Amino acid sequence: MAAASSALRLEMADSTDVALAAAGDRLAFERLYRTHANRVYSICTRMSGSRVKGEELTQDVFVRTWEKLPQFRGESAFSTWLHRLAVNVVLNARKTESKQESRTEQSDVDDDRRDEMSRAPLHIERMDLKDAIAKLPDGARKIFVLHDIEGYKHEEIAEMLGITSGGSKAQLHRARLLLREALER
Amino acid sequence: MTNSNMTCEAFDAALPDYLEGTLDEPLRAAVSKHLGECVRCTGLVRDLQKIQKEAAALPDLVPTRDLWQGIEARIAAPVIPFVTRPERQKRFVPAWMGIAAAALVVSTAGITYMLTARSLKSDSSTTVAQVGPSVTGADSQRGIDSGTPQNPQAASVDISGTKSGGVTAATSVTRGEGTTIGTRVPGTRLVTSQPGSEQRPEAVYSKEIEMLQNIVTQRRTQLDSATISIIERNLRIIDAAIASSRAALEKDPASRLLGEQLTHALDKKVELLRTAAMLPAST
Repeated sequence: MAAASSALRLEMADSTDVALAAAGDRLAFERLYRTHANRVYSICTRMSGSRVKGEELTQDVFVRTWEKLPQFRGESAFSTWLHRLAVNVVLNARKTESKQESRTEQSDVDDDRRDEMSRAPLHIERMDLKDAIAKLPDGARKIFVLHDIEGYKHEEIAEMLGITSGGSKAQLHRARLLLREALER
Repeated sequence: MTNSNMTCEAFDAALPDYLEGTLDEPLRAAVSKHLGECVRCTGLVRDLQKIQKEAAALPDLVPTRDLWQGIEARIAAPVIPFVTRPERQKRFVPAWMGIAAAALVVSTAGITYMLTARSLKSDSSTTVAQVGPSVTGADSQRGIDSGTPQNPQAASVDISGTKSGGVTAATSVTRGEGTTIGTRVPGTRLVTSQPGSEQRPEAVYSKEIEMLQNIVTQRRTQLDSATISIIERNLRIIDAAIASSRAALEKDPASRLLGEQLTHALDKKVELLRTAAMLPAST
């Protein structure tokens, strides 16, 4: 009840600041940033697997938000819209990077990561979940973050990533198994 | 590890849907039964559900630095709008340009006639720029009236200078009495000159050059100063070539090469002036 009330208050405050920011009020936009920065940064960092990259992407997300705010129709909560925008920014950034790498090279990197995880010595210090997520292969990590952390459904993830929901399920299961393996060490 | 109803391999295959809660009832019951009997699979499900639960409860991360300054700097940067190209306005073409264009066509036709006529005359008068052209050849003395040549093969000539078989070609030059000059549409005479009134080639060039120069002079204000500067520089070069060709030709009037060089230089001047006359106004 208290959590629902808090969420409602946040949404009300958001809607005022969203309207002001959409009209060009930078102070209102800074308030929106302060409210949502950590969540957006978490999405960006966990999806990209890098804190440095996460910070760059977070800035990109808020710049993009500023540009797109006038198009926000309020059909969903601002936070939902913002998080979806963040996911798209991360995915588009990845697509841009992928253009610079050949498909084969990336596949090799993923394979290397998998190999690295499978070959890691058993006596290493027990990894925590946060670090283990960061070490997941790119595709599996994104789907794990979107599904198990951000709460997106397989159908939504499939649409965002341009894959089938069956593919999303398979990748998620693979991610969970890899995490279990990493956490058991 | 196996039991009587489900193998661990079959369990593994059903596990993703079991965790998602999307298994149909008979299979879900089989999985549940297997979990009650298999330690390995029970441990696996327990670990994966724990990962799910922990992942959902992960706290938000906090950036190591304040990112707002970078964002503010980027959104505060002035937005430079794309310069929209103004809709192209219909260009007003003054009446004098139309008249000038018509004059150009007539003059060009005249020059073409002169060049072609020269090429068909006797060997001694083949260049249009030769001073004091020789008397017309035997063919020109032949009565060719109203486009009916006595010898069509010889009397009717394409604008390109090649002989054609008849006079019905749209562009032809017919020599002789009642000479038709220039572009000829059957039954139409654009320019007619009587024998003896034929203009000297250099006079034709001079007339056209003078006319074009007048046009270019009138258009100076419409043209870019850099363009005018280039045109004037090139004109000076061509004028120098014309002057030297003329000087050489005075010393050796019979030189075919010198005559051709003078003709070439005059052509270049006409061409340059014509281009300048037709240049679009600078914006």
